[in-house]
Amino acid sequence: MEGLVALLLRYGTWIASIAIGCGLALAVFDSRLGTHVATAGIALFILLPSLRVLLMLVVFVRERDYRFAAIAALVLTIILVGIFLGKDTRRS
Amino acid sequence: MDNGFALWLFAVSVGTSALGGMLGMAGGIFIVPILTIFGHLDFHVAAGASLVSVIACSCGSAAPFLNQRLTNVRLAIVLETATTLGALTGVLLAGAVPVSFLYFLFGAIMFLSAKQMFAKRKDPLLKKNSVAISGLGLDSSYPDRGLGCEVAYRVERVPMGMMLMYGAGLISALLGIGSGVLKIPAMDTALRLPIKVSSATSNFMIGVTAAASAGAYFMRGDIVTAIAGPVALGSVVGAIAGARILIVVSNRKLRLAFVVILIALGIQMLLAAFGIQVIRSAA
Repeated sequence: MEGLVALLLRYGTWIASIAIGCGLALAVFDSRLGTHVATAGIALFILLPSLRVLLMLVVFVRERDYRFAAIAALVLTIILVGIFLGKDTRRS
Repeated sequence: MDNGFALWLFAVSVGTSALGGMLGMAGGIFIVPILTIFGHLDFHVAAGASLVSVIACSCGSAAPFLNQRLTNVRLAIVLETATTLGALTGVLLAGAVPVSFLYFLFGAIMFLSAKQMFAKRKDPLLKKNSVAISGLGLDSSYPDRGLGCEVAYRVERVPMGMMLMYGAGLISALLGIGSGVLKIPAMDTALRLPIKVSSATSNFMIGVTAAASAGAYFMRGDIVTAIAGPVALGSVVGAIAGARILIVVSNRKLRLAFVVILIALGIQMLLAAFGIQVIRSAA
């Protein structure tokens, strides 16, 4: 479990960082495209912890540890609720 | 977008994350004050960028701790139910709380952190006859390099830990920090974990805690790419560098530097709460 999570986080960090880096560099020449790429990188970072929880859920299910699978599912649900709440409470 | 500003953001993030990384925290507690006081950014935008930074730090530095089996992932996921609920509450409150109060709260947390720097962390004594409190099987062991053997430990008082984690999540969402400064002492004393385990597990958890509110910040438009981008990159670099530099610098001097910076910035945040701008923006 730990090994898989470590791999996910390491690769996820690299991909997100490269996306942001390329996006910012690109933004010097083409502001709109560059910003979109960088934003995608940021979004990936925000999603990464949730992906980590999802991975743990999958591993728990495969290990038949249903109690912890339920806990992981609960965490995931709470995070999703947060995202939807954000959608509805738009400032400015 | 101002490239100079982007470079400044990057440099600040490298510095704060490296500094934080040396003591097992993310840099959020420094980033928000620096961005608001020196960068003159809106509090919520600064907090949003800081949350992304916390996630980047957490994800970027998690692998070594996981591979060394210091992180208790089961405990982390249990506690994360509390931190994410706290973060949710924070997301709901963020709109209703006046910004000046957020500055005040931030200053208070900085002083609390400064006080924490002096607290000595000790590994818990292993009680022979202690009853296993947790029915979830969270007790575990970790390989202690220093001692050269596997050390077993119990996880105690989980309900108390959950309450503290809820509070940590709430603060994290309101202020845009990782709340490692709140989680680590909670895990040391309430849960009675060995120091290395609580540092590793806290570092692991702050990512999820920050993500729980970052999603909402993103949807609300409080994550500005031009700001969060350089900050995130700088944080990854800083987090990785911090872990390496750790060995060279004396722990005592580090803590002293932390305390000085925390107090200096903390005072600025309190002043900002009362509307006093110490650093004028170039209008």
